[in-house]
Amino acid sequence: MSLLSGWWDDFFFGLLMVLRIFAVALVLAVALGLLGASAKLSGSRVLRTVAQGYTVVFRGTPELLVLLLFYFGMALTLTWIARLFDPSVQFVDLPPFWAGSIAIGLIVGAYMTETFRGAFLGVDRGQIEAARALSLKPHQVFWYVRIPQMWRLALPNFGNHMLSIMKDTALISIIGLEEILFVAKMANSVLHRPFTLYVIVAIIYLAMTTVITWAVGQLEVRANRHVRGAR
Amino acid sequence: MSFDISLIGSSLPRILQGLGLTLNLLAVSTLLGLMLAVLILLMRLSGRSWLVWPAKAYIYFFRGTPLLVQLFIIYYGLPQFGFVRQSVLWPLLREPYWCSVIALSLNTAAYVSEILRGGVMGVDKGLTEAGKALGLTRFQRATRITAPLAVRLALPAYSNEIVSMLKSTALASTVTLMEMTGVARTIVANTFAPYEIFIAATIIYLVLVWIIQTAFSMAETYANRHVRKG
Repeated sequence: MSLLSGWWDDFFFGLLMVLRIFAVALVLAVALGLLGASAKLSGSRVLRTVAQGYTVVFRGTPELLVLLLFYFGMALTLTWIARLFDPSVQFVDLPPFWAGSIAIGLIVGAYMTETFRGAFLGVDRGQIEAARALSLKPHQVFWYVRIPQMWRLALPNFGNHMLSIMKDTALISIIGLEEILFVAKMANSVLHRPFTLYVIVAIIYLAMTTVITWAVGQLEVRANRHVRGAR
Repeated sequence: MSFDISLIGSSLPRILQGLGLTLNLLAVSTLLGLMLAVLILLMRLSGRSWLVWPAKAYIYFFRGTPLLVQLFIIYYGLPQFGFVRQSVLWPLLREPYWCSVIALSLNTAAYVSEILRGGVMGVDKGLTEAGKALGLTRFQRATRITAPLAVRLALPAYSNEIVSMLKSTALASTVTLMEMTGVARTIVANTFAPYEIFIAATIIYLVLVWIIQTAFSMAETYANRHVRKG
């Protein structure tokens, strides 16, 4: 481990960067998943078509391609906009952090849409009818009846999507964000120990995915605590 | 900012030059991955702890780390060791193509063995017990009862895994391979028209995904022909 002397702080900040991307992308993916699932289950044909298009495109395109399209596309658009105001501008890009988090959020949001849709359908109709009979407003039915019950059904897949977000963060090094894979590349250009350095990156990721898997397991136990006795 | 729709059309043939390599990577790694997956599955189901634990560790590692990191360990990492550079495998391990195939196969094997295990677990116990009662050997029960039923149960998840493999082949572009994403990246570097070129590539990927899903839904219909509702 003396190999890493002088690089500990870089790996540490790289890890912080990964965790920040994970948090932003997760929030975005859950929001998009809830919106997408609501759109797919809505009565409006336009909303259903838009949501269907969203899931088909983002589940069928390589993550790397979405990331590159979003980052370079945004750079082109933002530079064009900036030049409208100041023609001397050379290049403006969306910071890789935001480009990466939004791209990953969009991709995993498409998977979340399908998971949440299935989970919403799994909630007993009688529960919703009962809530309506008690004259709960639509948003109350959504937050107090649908969400707490669909959550339990969505958890196992939700856990897998969280793992996907975590693993997809490695891709953002390709557009130049200084997360752990990028740090390992830099360290390698000085130390020339590629195997050791990339294995360290793998171990860090393994630790994080292990924590996520454990946490989801705990959440599942908690979410199912009322059915434990009944089985 | 200009968006040139005709550029999408004119870049399609150039990106399609990478289609062969994309499909090649997909086919070769899927096949190698499937064979490895069956081996890992058998280890996992063997009930002998010295076989079960390596299989579990394998699945844990390959499902818990990003494929990109696995690819970098194999392509950039292995040459760190002198014995790798001197070994008979070096002509393979210095080629980005074989490193990509190895990374993709090792990665998918972990997922597929779990998918197949799900299928095996889903087979009704009564059926294998009936086979036992009829005096079938363990091998006969595995090949005539468990395997066909498990494959049928595993098909939907397996089709998702193939789609996911198709998408993973794009990572080969990070180790200089000129498959579709690699070609698209090169064209973008020359033209700086990311929207048109990457959208063209996306269209081709979506068509491929559609073909894979259609093929698998036909396979599922065939596999379930005896349970079809009359």
